[in-house]
Amino acid sequence: MSAAPRAATPAAEPLLSSRRRERGLPARVAAGAPPYLLVLPTLVVLVGVLAYPLYWLGRISFEHYGLAELIARKGTWTGLDNYRHMLGDAEFWRIVARTIAFTVVNVGLTMLFATLIALLLVRMGTIVRGAVLVGLVWVWATPVTVAIAVWQWMVDFEFGVLNWTLTKLHVVDLIHYNWFDNPWTGFAVITAVVVWGAIPFAAITIYAGFSQVPQELVEAAEVDGASAWEVFWRVTFPLVKPIFVIVTSLSIIWDFQVFNQIWIMLEFRPSPDYYLLGVYSFVESFRVSQYGLGAAIAVVMVVLMLGVSFVYVRQMVRISEADA
Amino acid sequence: MKFRYVVAAALAVAVAAGAPTAGARTDGDAASSTLTVWLMTDAQGGAWADVVSAANRQFESAHPGIEVDVQIQTWGDHLTKLDAALAGGRAPDVVELGNTETTKYMAAGALANITGNRGSFPNSRTWLQALTQSCTYQGRLFCVPYYAGARAVIYRRDHWRQAGLRKAPASLDAFVNAGKRLMRLKRSDRNYSALYFPGKYWYAAMSFVYDYGGAIARFRNGRWVGTLDSQFALRGLRKWKETARALSRANRSGTEATQWTVFSQGRVGATISNGWEWGLIIDPENGNPRLNLGAFPMPSHTKGKFMPTFLGGSDLAIPATSGNRALALDWIRTFTSNGNMRTLTSAAGVIPNTTSLAGVNASKPQLAPFAQAAKASWFVPTAPNWANVENAQVLQNMLSSILTGRSTVEAASRRASTQITQILNAR
Repeated sequence: MSAAPRAATPAAEPLLSSRRRERGLPARVAAGAPPYLLVLPTLVVLVGVLAYPLYWLGRISFEHYGLAELIARKGTWTGLDNYRHMLGDAEFWRIVARTIAFTVVNVGLTMLFATLIALLLVRMGTIVRGAVLVGLVWVWATPVTVAIAVWQWMVDFEFGVLNWTLTKLHVVDLIHYNWFDNPWTGFAVITAVVVWGAIPFAAITIYAGFSQVPQELVEAAEVDGASAWEVFWRVTFPLVKPIFVIVTSLSIIWDFQVFNQIWIMLEFRPSPDYYLLGVYSFVESFRVSQYGLGAAIAVVMVVLMLGVSFVYVRQMVRISEADA
Repeated sequence: MKFRYVVAAALAVAVAAGAPTAGARTDGDAASSTLTVWLMTDAQGGAWADVVSAANRQFESAHPGIEVDVQIQTWGDHLTKLDAALAGGRAPDVVELGNTETTKYMAAGALANITGNRGSFPNSRTWLQALTQSCTYQGRLFCVPYYAGARAVIYRRDHWRQAGLRKAPASLDAFVNAGKRLMRLKRSDRNYSALYFPGKYWYAAMSFVYDYGGAIARFRNGRWVGTLDSQFALRGLRKWKETARALSRANRSGTEATQWTVFSQGRVGATISNGWEWGLIIDPENGNPRLNLGAFPMPSHTKGKFMPTFLGGSDLAIPATSGNRALALDWIRTFTSNGNMRTLTSAAGVIPNTTSLAGVNASKPQLAPFAQAAKASWFVPTAPNWANVENAQVLQNMLSSILTGRSTVEAASRRASTQITQILNAR
């Protein structure tokens, strides 16, 4: 740490650079070291919280790792057994298909509603916009567990507010109606909770993008006789497309690993109809003590997510290059 | 993001300082001054909590400077927590385990072998046979019986009298028929259940299976076989479905976890309950003290017999990783002393861990039926992997898919049997 102030003194700079040519390898390494030293702490943290657990996840996925192994902290190598078992299980493929379908529906709905709300925000007066933004931030700030508890009461079997209201309004008779008896209505509720929670971030980010679109372009298009849809599709959307790419890929990453909304909503005991990949991996690991198999499922999730993250990171790099 | 910077900065400082002190652990001192005990939610309130704090006072006065830290766990996730704590080397010094959960941990070597200390525990000669068995693995003792519980029917005398039931019914059919009459009498109340029977209440549902001669799984030729799709089990499951469909409007995918709350709200004629639920139903603060309750053992389909009840219970174990084994042993001795067990039995209404106290509740009308019910009982398969069947919710999922009509009895039981066979034989 004591080296940093010296390197940062501008007066010393010309002197150092004139000498640089004469110095040997060790000295050059020393001169190039400060940037690396500065990244080192971050690197240590990343290795500690990401690389190390990932290494263990990968390793356990090739091992027989049950409760006895967990306590002894030592598994037995079984090669690809866990993967073979997993890929040969029809249940696994059903869950993969369900997870993908769930992600598509949730991301689609999130993006649709978020875009519509963002478009509304652009056209609102200051006070109304402020009110809507505050509402969105409130939803955003609600801890997931609290939000789920609130939604649970909405659709509760005995005392559900939603059931009661719909029954009183004579829409449908929902006295003693269990939304989760049927996986379709059950997933409708879970989708509502997930989308509801995801909209604020997406809407505010897209709105931020929209507000950066130069007004002259929009006006010029309107003067040229473009309809509202054409203005959106040919002027606004192409300009904010990078933001859409980022928000969509982030939503895919989040929705693909939905866990809490299902786990807590179904009181820590979801029936297999409600398993998504994340829940399945947890059940195999922590409920059935087959940590090896659970790890293999998690590895598959990580690999699938790497693909989506690639799109996201590439877009981020492009943006920072464009800024620079 | 900010968090990451803070961590990075903190780490940078630590690295610069050489951080030699970070490795010097002071756990040794901390561990010996605190004894960590995990008990289940049942011990959280009322008379039960009083027994726990009395035991802690006795223990702390015998061991000055030692503090007992009782941490209350829930049945839903305590094993997940225990696994994580065992893997992280931070397991408690004493842990309560359900008697269906112990085998898995004994087989995995997670619990301390206390065979040599057996004679030092209060009442160890008269421990309940069933609980002692759940603490024994390959002839060695790994835990101490804590308490047992049996289920019986708790019912509203006033309601069932209207349906013509004045004393304990002689057979299951007599009970179900009276229940059907009661449902007709109460037909204007769409929330009413003559017998409140949540779909995932597997302890009560499996009693039907065992009553008809079925079983969850049997050990044949060196391996476990799921037998819920046998003819006997199917008969029991069909009778259970008919009973629950006719008498109950409880959540078909729900659990029995809070059934006394629903009972105390007045729209329930009866529940199949543990003895201590009686007190919760009529609790002056959270229940309804005005209800006129009675209890009888669930009748069998064979006239004059009782339906076998699940003999549940808990044991107290010491994780093998605990560094406080001597203190932990002593805490268990204090907690299960004759005096504390007597109070727990009479005040909380449990079945005590020793037959020598069996007479404590014999003359109490609200507790005697449960002890009576316990005489005909069934228990889960004693396979090391049994806890995984419970954790994977195999039975609960089967039951709720039958009751909601998503599956037929035959298809659901076949699926569950296959799953059970697979889990029980997994290496």
